[in-house]
Amino acid sequence: MRVSLYLPLGLLGLLACQPENKPTTAPATMQVHDDLGRALTLPAHPRRVLALAPSLTETLYAVADTATIIARTQVDDYPAAVLRKPLVNSYPLDMERLVALHPDVVFTIEGITPPDAAARLGQLGIPVYYQKYRRVADVLRGINDIGRLLGRPAQAKRLTDSLQAQLNGLAKPVPGAARPTVLALASADPIYVYGQNTLFTDEIRLAGGQNAVRDTFPQPFPALTREYVLKMNPEVLLGGRFGKLDSTFFKNNPELRRTRAYQTRRVYATTPNLLQRPSPRIVEAVRELQALLRK
Amino acid sequence: MPATHPGRWLLAGILLTLLLLGLGLRVGSYATDYAFIIKTLRHYDPTDPAQLVLVQLRLPRLLLAWLAGASLALSGYLLQTLVTNPLADPYLLGTASGASLGAIVAYLFFPALTLSGLYLPPLAALAGGLLATVLVVAIGSRRGRVLPAPLLLGGVAVGALAAALGSLITFLKADQGNLQVVVFWAFGSFERASWAVLGYPAAVLAGSLALLIFLQKDLNILLLGEERAQALGLPVARLRWLLLALVAALTGGVVALCGPVGFVGLVVPHLTRGLLGTAGRANLAFCAVLGGGFLLACDLLARLLYPPAGLPVGLVTALLGVPFFVSLLRKTS
Repeated sequence: MRVSLYLPLGLLGLLACQPENKPTTAPATMQVHDDLGRALTLPAHPRRVLALAPSLTETLYAVADTATIIARTQVDDYPAAVLRKPLVNSYPLDMERLVALHPDVVFTIEGITPPDAAARLGQLGIPVYYQKYRRVADVLRGINDIGRLLGRPAQAKRLTDSLQAQLNGLAKPVPGAARPTVLALASADPIYVYGQNTLFTDEIRLAGGQNAVRDTFPQPFPALTREYVLKMNPEVLLGGRFGKLDSTFFKNNPELRRTRAYQTRRVYATTPNLLQRPSPRIVEAVRELQALLRK
Repeated sequence: MPATHPGRWLLAGILLTLLLLGLGLRVGSYATDYAFIIKTLRHYDPTDPAQLVLVQLRLPRLLLAWLAGASLALSGYLLQTLVTNPLADPYLLGTASGASLGAIVAYLFFPALTLSGLYLPPLAALAGGLLATVLVVAIGSRRGRVLPAPLLLGGVAVGALAAALGSLITFLKADQGNLQVVVFWAFGSFERASWAVLGYPAAVLAGSLALLIFLQKDLNILLLGEERAQALGLPVARLRWLLLALVAALTGGVVALCGPVGFVGLVVPHLTRGLLGTAGRANLAFCAVLGGGFLLACDLLARLLYPPAGLPVGLVTALLGVPFFVSLLRKTS
């Protein structure tokens, strides 16, 4: 059954590859390992690339020759130029369309693309390179990795040096001063939050605060009870404007009006698609968090 | 205990419920011992966060779990009697699938989750559940008479249609973020409990039980089959309409508040009949008490196994209920 499914896709991939792939010399390749430790064979000079995560599309636009970016996904919206690229659906993954685009390499993030889809693409000759991040430094390292893989290490380094300099230039928290505890909502009903093992923990640390969720749960975005939120008693809540959450989230969960965040009205919205994306705009996200903490 | 002592079984069920309530009051993020619980219940101080949690969050949650279990078990019992089919469960009338469809529409089409100041998910779930129920009843009735077989098949068909529509909308509209919300709604949860929402399920359950205790004899006659029931002078058509209305009211409220919690409405009526006989006089009350206790136990276990939010309660009801149900089936057959 599996073979019969792969065969038509494989043939399609081969047919799709034929018109433009007529190498005169054997293509040079390189052996690499992605962040999940998967061994991959990539062309030494990838000319056709795409990303299945919006943050990585942003990274490609910042590092790659934009002419080599061959497609976007339905969630990509930054930079605006990406909207002119052909569309390939990342969820559910439009395997056939992706194969027809015959990319040299596809970049994605752990948790975004199912491993079995990556394995199938690998069998069809399309390497899928996973990145994963726990800290902001990992994002900068990931940008440099992509630069190296695409033969543009200097551009990547310039970018990450600049980002690092901006991070270094952020105002440091006053030594000894308590860091405010910040709870970031991923969903208000049911209550899902940014857990300890998300990038948010490091972003908010760099911004001078701390993730209010101290326990580490198996899921990056754990579901919480109101009782747990009350016990945490966060000083800042991220997830929407005060007025909006007051008429929705706090109206449905009036007990949470006792939290310090509500009492002091430190309830804020963040720029859509900024905090969630481990992209070159990550310093912008940290800066926004810092500005919110200083309000 | 032989089936001739239904009163003892009922007493045992009530004691079990009280025990589970006591245990459930202790489980949560705040450490609370029994001395603290007793102190809180005697002199409630809402300025103490732990006391507030106990009275405003834990107690309503436990009561909602109990009411949901009791309502679903009673609904299952009534429907199995109504269609004289032991496979019937409270969601036979399409309430769960219709409610799920309503919730999916609310979550995916209204990201703000409010419309003119009204909080949509439970309202949409209630509306979806009632619409599906009306449709199933329309399919299952002819000239004012409810016919069990078309009702059963109509329930299956409308359930499948609502599930397919829900899947279609989810497929077209959901992204990875809100898909999680939709999926978790469908598992069922008591986390939305508050004193304000307990009134409806409590009133419907109390009203239904009071009415049904008067009708217990009629229900037992209905179990003999339509022809014999009619021959004995039972107004079968009217009774069936009444039972349908009760099931819709009992199930609709629970699904709107807790999401569709499965299996309790199938397992508990069987257990009731296994323990007290097919036509015992305390069957209805015992079924409700046992259903409430069953969901209390499932919720407690879910929160102990996977704190703080707990495993989805619908998973626990199935994991506990299925092996038990199968062993019961093997024994009785």
